[in-house]
Amino acid sequence: MHLYLPVALTSINVLVPVGLGLAVGLLSGLFGVGGGFLMTPLLIMFGIPSTVAAATDSNQIVAASTSGTYAHWRVGNVDFKMGLYLLAGGFAGGLIGVEGIKILRAMGNADFVIKMTYVLMLGIVGSYMFFESIMSMRKKKVHEAEEQRQESAFGRFLKSLPLQTYFEKSGVTHSVLIPIIFGSFVGILAAVMGVGGGFLMVPVMVYILRMPMHVVVGTSLFQILFNCIEVTFLQAYTNHTVDFVLAVLLLIGSTVGAQVGAVFGRKLKAEQLKVILAVIVLVVTVKIVFELTLSPSLLLAQSGGH
Amino acid sequence: MRLKTVLIIACAVFVLVLNGAASAKLTATANHDHIKIDFFYHGSSVSVRGVSDPGSDLIIKIASADGHQALRQKGKVAGLLWMNVGELKFEHVPSMYSLHCSKKITDILDPGEMEKYAIGYEAMDKKATIQPVANDSEKTKWFNEFVKFKEDSKLYSETTGDILLTANGQEQDYYVLTPWPYQAMPGDYTVTVYAVRDKKVVEKAESRVFVEQVGLVKSFATMAKNSSVLYGTISIVVALVAGFGVGLIFRKGGGAH
Repeated sequence: MHLYLPVALTSINVLVPVGLGLAVGLLSGLFGVGGGFLMTPLLIMFGIPSTVAAATDSNQIVAASTSGTYAHWRVGNVDFKMGLYLLAGGFAGGLIGVEGIKILRAMGNADFVIKMTYVLMLGIVGSYMFFESIMSMRKKKVHEAEEQRQESAFGRFLKSLPLQTYFEKSGVTHSVLIPIIFGSFVGILAAVMGVGGGFLMVPVMVYILRMPMHVVVGTSLFQILFNCIEVTFLQAYTNHTVDFVLAVLLLIGSTVGAQVGAVFGRKLKAEQLKVILAVIVLVVTVKIVFELTLSPSLLLAQSGGH
Repeated sequence: MRLKTVLIIACAVFVLVLNGAASAKLTATANHDHIKIDFFYHGSSVSVRGVSDPGSDLIIKIASADGHQALRQKGKVAGLLWMNVGELKFEHVPSMYSLHCSKKITDILDPGEMEKYAIGYEAMDKKATIQPVANDSEKTKWFNEFVKFKEDSKLYSETTGDILLTANGQEQDYYVLTPWPYQAMPGDYTVTVYAVRDKKVVEKAESRVFVEQVGLVKSFATMAKNSSVLYGTISIVVALVAGFGVGLIFRKGGGAH
């Protein structure tokens, strides 16, 4: 059955957005990512204009991350304190990133910077997570205690910063400046790349903030929820590009997918979760590299989006 | 004086009768002239039929009014990477253009006539303006890319030999059935039928197709545009309620170890 989308001005088979929502929602519940880096290109592939695809995806992520955050919160996997500091940093970073994009666009090389940032960040994050997780799985528990005793110079530097506070849910002590600074960093990159930034925030929480993987997933979803509420409103208000009908079709799948993902996540170990996420990130990186190097069939595209 | 007047009228009637015997008045009717876009709309089909002079070839053009469109332009950066390198503005181009010919267009119509009536991609290229381009050959290159982009979106097409012609006494009936793409925007479209003889347009007839959004589709589109604060708020609240509602349904779920 096909439905006509009033803002996208196109018709779509309802099974397509519901199926896409289910698949991306599953990843969201499993890994704590919004999935915008997957969903937006997929929607464009199915004929949705790029501006509508990006804005509507934010709308459906509100539903998926509400569903996922709720599922993780009920089992105590959301660190609200850490999430709020990251959110504050991410908000400030987003404002800086948006201004940065304006400057780059005025200079005429915004697309080059965006694409390169995309490939480098996805490539570095994906590769690091992949190899680190494989190494961790091999080392087993024997080395774990030994590793924890060895503190790196970077770790000592983090401990020396002022405003140290204990994050009970995550079981870690950090200066409040750390989540704010790294939240800002992710916010800048997310604004430059035009994505929610979940796939960057998750590694920051795992490798820099040293939070347990399952608290990372819940906290990341909590943070993504607020980011996407802001983005959805701004897109609806300024660009009129949120397609409510498409968003409803997507969220039918994504809310269920997020719940299934959260349940399924219990059956996987943290390292396994990291490896799967790393593989997905690397596959997306390879796809973007192919897009950049192979001649496109069409040399013109709809305006808007990245 | 009176006899002279009677003779003139009689001659005029005789000429009209002879003329009438030689050619039929060209007519054009679109069967589906009001297309309504509702929730279950997935495109439509429009047939055009009428009568024409038996000796004429026919060209049927279905097009929106000329307008403008801005598209992102892809190019190679550093001789290696394909990415967006700018924006091209196309002026005096219809958003939808569908051409049907009884024979190959270059065999039945003079290039000057094509240009005069904006028939065919070549004539459209001459009429269009594209900015920024360095010269005419670059303009033609990007116009061809524009046509490729539009054909890919099912909004431009040129077909030959799909007009059904049937002799009907002194007249010729014609009929063409064309799919109406769901990608075509709401608005007014003109169906123009050209009768062609000796590579010249000898007659033309017009009909209209009107496409409009109706019901909830129209309400959502209007609300998104005119009441964006309310529309954005409703979109967010529905997403929050749906996410929370599904969370409640899956009460037994969870992500803890």
